Amino acid sequence: MLSELIDFLASLHPLVVHLPIGIILLTIAIDVFMKNKNNSVQRVITMGWFFSFFTGLLAALFGWFLGDNGYYFESQINIHRWSGVAFVSLCFFIWLLRYINFRFSRAFNRSINITTVILLTVTGHFGGEMTHGQNYLVENLPFVKKEISSLKITEAKKTETDSLFVYEDLVYPVLEEKCMACHNQNKAYGGLNMSAFESLVKGGNSGAGIQKGNPYKSLIYKRVSFPQDHPKFMPPAGVPLSYDQIATLEWWIDNGAEKQMPVTLVRKDAKIQRMMELQYGLDLREKTYLETLQLASIATSDLKVLEDEKYMWRFLNPEESFLDVKFTAKKIETADLLTLQKIKKNITWLNLSDCKLSDEQLGYLSEFPNLTRLKIQKNPMVTNKGIEALQELENLSQLNLYGTRINDAAFTTLGQMKSLEKLFLWNTRVTAKGIAAFKAQHPDIEVIAGL
Amino acid sequence: MHCNDHHHHENKNYSRRDFLTKTSLGLGALSLGSLISPVNAYGNSDFLNLLDSKKMKLPHFVPKAKRVIYLFQSGAPSQLDLFDYKPKLNEMFGKEVPKSIIGEQRLTGMSSGQNSFPMAGSLFKFSQHGQSGAWMSELMPHTSKIVDELCFIKSMYTDAINHDPAMTMIQTGSELPGRPSMGSWLSYGLGTDNKNLPEFVVLVTKGKNGQPLYSRLWGNGFLPSQHQGVQFRSGKDAVLYLDNPPGVTSGIREEQLKSLKKLQNIQHADIGDPEILTKISNYEMAYRMQTSVPEVMDVSDEPDYIFDLYGEDSKNPGTFAANCLLARKLAEKDVKFIQLYHRGWDQHGNLPNDIKKQAKETDQATAGLIQDLKQRGLLEDTLVIWGGEFGRTNYSQGMLKPDNYGRDHHPRCFTIFMAGAGVKKGITIGATDEFGYNIAEKPVHIHDFQATLMHLLGIDHEKLTFKFQGRRYRLTDVHGNVVKEVLA
Repeated sequence: MLSELIDFLASLHPLVVHLPIGIILLTIAIDVFMKNKNNSVQRVITMGWFFSFFTGLLAALFGWFLGDNGYYFESQINIHRWSGVAFVSLCFFIWLLRYINFRFSRAFNRSINITTVILLTVTGHFGGEMTHGQNYLVENLPFVKKEISSLKITEAKKTETDSLFVYEDLVYPVLEEKCMACHNQNKAYGGLNMSAFESLVKGGNSGAGIQKGNPYKSLIYKRVSFPQDHPKFMPPAGVPLSYDQIATLEWWIDNGAEKQMPVTLVRKDAKIQRMMELQYGLDLREKTYLETLQLASIATSDLKVLEDEKYMWRFLNPEESFLDVKFTAKKIETADLLTLQKIKKNITWLNLSDCKLSDEQLGYLSEFPNLTRLKIQKNPMVTNKGIEALQELENLSQLNLYGTRINDAAFTTLGQMKSLEKLFLWNTRVTAKGIAAFKAQHPDIEVIAGL
Repeated sequence: MHCNDHHHHENKNYSRRDFLTKTSLGLGALSLGSLISPVNAYGNSDFLNLLDSKKMKLPHFVPKAKRVIYLFQSGAPSQLDLFDYKPKLNEMFGKEVPKSIIGEQRLTGMSSGQNSFPMAGSLFKFSQHGQSGAWMSELMPHTSKIVDELCFIKSMYTDAINHDPAMTMIQTGSELPGRPSMGSWLSYGLGTDNKNLPEFVVLVTKGKNGQPLYSRLWGNGFLPSQHQGVQFRSGKDAVLYLDNPPGVTSGIREEQLKSLKKLQNIQHADIGDPEILTKISNYEMAYRMQTSVPEVMDVSDEPDYIFDLYGEDSKNPGTFAANCLLARKLAEKDVKFIQLYHRGWDQHGNLPNDIKKQAKETDQATAGLIQDLKQRGLLEDTLVIWGGEFGRTNYSQGMLKPDNYGRDHHPRCFTIFMAGAGVKKGITIGATDEFGYNIAEKPVHIHDFQATLMHLLGIDHEKLTFKFQGRRYRLTDVHGNVVKEVLA
């Protein structure tokens, strides 16, 4: 009963604490700004000091209760507590002196007022830090950059999700914000220093911080996921970890809690992946080659080679570096292939269908480093020999060969293409048997050979 | 003399239209820039050069699709008899639709006065197909065989309840006439991929009755007029007024156009109206189309097994099947937006009999087209869409008989399917409730559908805009979310 009453009174602290603040500020304002103070005014000022003392005493008492119930650390409370006590005592003595009509010098009076305001400010500030967090004062200033954990992943890193690590980029920033004020190498509360990976795993006086592969036996995870009124809930003050932060921590520990675990590992767990994509604004899908390729835009002078009516082309990206080129004349000459070679770095999609392309001419295509789609269908002169040159196209994912004269022997070449995903072989001389054998060897390559 | 010249420049003769559209010129200019980025298909006028430096950076990202074939089923096919299997309606055949299902929703004047709203379960058998196990009715035996290539959206909905506004909505993103249609937006944003054919071609099945079609459905709205859809008709004159008048040879025509272009360039230098340049390019395109159109319309080279694939109708020009075959040929020629219209799905009464005929006309050709595109590798960069402007009601309009019923307009849900570039295969997105009346899962609005379509073509639908009458317009206006579930 008594402890409940004390808890109730403690909860009144944030309310009552504003009474002495208002009263003392008004009292000092009257003292400073009223020029001719008659007796009545002097009595009002004396009364002001008394009420400041009285309400301050209540606030201090309730505050003491609040500080004792274990939610806060001594280190955080100390300054607030003792400056508060000093403030209340000061109010009491000034009221007492005024009450017995002690004559103040002007200088003494002024220094009292200034001391009081300073004490009030200090007390208020440290009180604010406890309830609103350490950076409450500056974090909402318009020109101060907000430091929320999810924003710590820079925009540059966001686009390169392959280089993100779970610990370094997702876990550490959260621990730094929520835990490391108390658990660092200088003041390791409970013997726990979370600022280094090794000591984080090792844990503190209560046991191992992290048991790799088992979040529910890892104290770090347990403490942050307790109900908030649990005496061991962490962090004891300030904003607790959010759901996604806890879920990320859980997933990381569950998957081995390695320091160098890449974020992309999350792809095996669709639910967490979705959550990370939403919460951290990451795009964690598997990237295609073109999505990872950074290529400077092509110079206008280089584009001149495509001015001829024979070529249709367009850019595939706003950076104007990937080209989709189609040859439109009825017959292609070797000179045309030499022209295309001049911009081979930029050609990503190429359509040379139905233009009497020969095996020899295909040889000119062997060094197109960024070519991902090649259409050479409806060129009946193309045979197995010609496509051998295509083996070196490292990033070719789609190859359209329908209407050429390749046969089953071509599968040896085609099997060497390491990025190949789709192969169009309708109306060629390959056999169903050949296709079946190829598919058995390369189950990842889709072969489309007609109906 | 000098003075006169000066005076002339100061009082440049701006036309009224140009004055009014002066602000939009800047943006229109940007758009044209992209149009000519793949070689200057429309000649070397100063205007186009000016634009080249300011062109929009399109596509916004590497596209999945390069072109669209939209098999539009005008009149609104009954999703309940084709795709959206609702055994509950058969179980409760003839019973009233529960009040809670319709709620306060508006019905058309054609059935709102009915005393009774008896639920009409489909008379057609449904079964599951393919590895994906998609439900299909027996009306579509050929399409049923290729369900593993398809992506169904069963939770489409629209704002409009009548054909005209609903078709205008799905074609242009607004119920009110006057906006550019989807094909025009894509032509405007992405430019051309071929030199001798329009970017946007329309094919209408001949001899069909039903809801009227009008050219504004493929109109350019406020976009420059070369972005409008061009209708290719069946028969001798595929494009009207394309042929030279009797006695005029191709050489004479060429000379004539050259001279005309000189005059028009002078006029443009004087007035500065961009429509003059559009006109020049239209003349030049028409000239090139004199040879390219007969070439593409000629199907005599197609082997018999291709005709067999599309069905026997495909040998009969102007049928849906023949148009599907043409659509493939146009896709091979890199026409960007190929839109087919097939009318006759508006079955308010006698649905079970009429829909059989409609389904037969479209089923085999649709499946054939998708397969043909696939074997040629065209399905990798072509998006095929099949669907109407809204759905049909789960209750019978008019008398429900054991073997006959009709269905009224239903904007609350309908089904479309897509296949091809960038779209997941063998998947169904969204679902309706067990009565097939309201959407139960993942609603997809017309704007969302359009946003997704543009996304597949490499366009951020929020960024492709055109300023007109003082504000910037987009296809999706202020709406639309890309349906990520659709994307492969």
